[in-house]
Amino acid sequence: MFELGPILSRAFQTLQSWVIAHGVPALGAWILAKSIQVGVVVLGVSLIPMVLVYAERKVSAFMQARLGPMNVGPYGILQTLADGIKLIFKEDVIPVGSDRIMHIMAPMVVVAPVFICFAPLPFGKGLVPIDLDIGVLFIFAISGVSTIGVLMAGWGSGNKFSMLGGLRGAAQLVSYEIPRVLSVVPVLMFYGTQSLNGIALAQQGRWYGIIPKWFIFYPVIGQIAFLIFLIASVAETNRTPFDIPEAESELVAGFHTEFSGLKFALFFLAEYAYVFVSSAMAVALFLGGDDGFSAAGIIPSWLWFLGKTFVMVFLFLWFRWTFPRLRVDRLMQFCWQFLLPWSIANIAFAGLAVLLIK
Amino acid sequence: MTLSLHHFLMLSAILFGIGIYGVLSRRNILGILMSIELMFNAANINLIAFNHFLYPNQVWGQGFAIFVMTLAAAEAVVGLSLVLAIYRNIKSVYTEKLNILHG
Amino acid sequence: MNLEQLLPTVVFALMAGLLIALALVVVTSRSVFRSAIALTGALGVVAGLFALMGADFVAAGQLLIYVGGIMIIMLFVIMLSQRPMAKADRQTNDQWLWGALFALAVTCGLIVQFRAVYRGIFSTTVSMPTTVSIGRLLLGDMVVPFEAVSLVLLAALVGAVYFGLDYEKPQ
Repeated sequence: MFELGPILSRAFQTLQSWVIAHGVPALGAWILAKSIQVGVVVLGVSLIPMVLVYAERKVSAFMQARLGPMNVGPYGILQTLADGIKLIFKEDVIPVGSDRIMHIMAPMVVVAPVFICFAPLPFGKGLVPIDLDIGVLFIFAISGVSTIGVLMAGWGSGNKFSMLGGLRGAAQLVSYEIPRVLSVVPVLMFYGTQSLNGIALAQQGRWYGIIPKWFIFYPVIGQIAFLIFLIASVAETNRTPFDIPEAESELVAGFHTEFSGLKFALFFLAEYAYVFVSSAMAVALFLGGDDGFSAAGIIPSWLWFLGKTFVMVFLFLWFRWTFPRLRVDRLMQFCWQFLLPWSIANIAFAGLAVLLIK
Repeated sequence: MTLSLHHFLMLSAILFGIGIYGVLSRRNILGILMSIELMFNAANINLIAFNHFLYPNQVWGQGFAIFVMTLAAAEAVVGLSLVLAIYRNIKSVYTEKLNILHG
Repeated sequence: MNLEQLLPTVVFALMAGLLIALALVVVTSRSVFRSAIALTGALGVVAGLFALMGADFVAAGQLLIYVGGIMIIMLFVIMLSQRPMAKADRQTNDQWLWGALFALAVTCGLIVQFRAVYRGIFSTTVSMPTTVSIGRLLLGDMVVPFEAVSLVLLAALVGAVYFGLDYEKPQ
């Protein structure tokens, strides 16, 4: 009923033909249409963390038997906006002994990749901003660039504690990238494509009429892969129980101690946007993307996708107040001695299963 | 000026030259390692350019470039752990301090 | 000349200028950390050049391996082996002039040869996704180098761990 995909593609085609009729070459019209789509995606990436920050504060509050933000706007909805305005007006302090250029560029290097990561995500039928053939690999490669920003932030702060925080944070990010990437390999082996839209489409349908054909329902491989991807994503986004780099009670604030005002806001924007990207990837790869239970008429596919993504985000928020923080060496031990062997074993199981089935 | 093969080859030649200058004239071992990485990348640009312009239907150049990347990674890792071992011993990373076997 | 021929040329010119500027920062900067960050930027621009030439898998691999792997290790080693706030003395040694002349000679020789032999070759194909072809190649015709490279990586891993171990403390 409200399927946005066909409506939007028809709108863009009308725009392109109107522009071509006025003398612009075909490539120029295509660039114009893509620029508008890029603008919409950038707007979405800027707004989603605001919603997530509010959701986190409310969910944390309800789990702790209190109410959370209630003053600003009805039920505190405008709280994030007020926080953002406050952070913009704060004084921008650059420490004297630090490297100025590194200090200024570090938040940019952390935030810029997350805008790009939103491009291959399948938001619904016909609602993929860019249907890349290397979608999965692309997202992993681009999120690796943010780690450089963490190191720049640690160095550019000019004190030893921030540098140590940056080193620890980067070590954690690099270590947990490996089980994360390896846990997705069984999905690629079964579906034969790296395009997130293709993987989501291949999970439509039902077995025996009831069980959806989502990857998480595959006998052993699906569950192990999903769990490893979930745990590694929680570690990749520096959320508790893996948030030693930014632990508020441990290392002052880790690598972003010396950043104030808008730069601090940018680090948090990046963290929440990465939470959304990881949830969306988990939904597209393991939970069927925009597959829905209704008769494809009442609830549109993009609403299913957003609903499932927000369920995954709720899982991320839930973990924060359930598990205690892991110590740094146990964190590394957990990655290298538990997650990595299991993800490699999972690839072996998946290979065996592919061989037997096909 | 349509994009042609020799544009990419000139770019990689300039990059290679900058890498050679870095290798020959930096005092810091890490600076030398970084210049070696520049030279590897110049070679990779060459490989991919030849693949794209002369043999568009095959991917041998890209496969070879992946091997170059992997071997560069292996070499960088071993080189950097050597640098750490050197730093632990003589507390410096400058090449003129590495002359214990001299004469 | 229409837009379809102009756009790749403009993009290539911008990327080439940025790449050469970043490479010059790598070899001339006084702070080795700034050189490393400039090198990271240069590697990202090279990934963009690969994507411009239609090699999408290799571009993503370049970002993943070089930027997300090698440069992080290099930044780690830089941060662990420098006195952090020492404003550095000069970074070039005594033979920099001869090095520059030699590099200039090599570059000019290469450029002259390339212009002479490979001038005027254009590309007219549409870019196709390459992952499946590369997979078939690596496990088909190039399987022996593939296995050999995995042994090289194993040797590098063992070597790095061995050099990184500290024998002064009891294990």
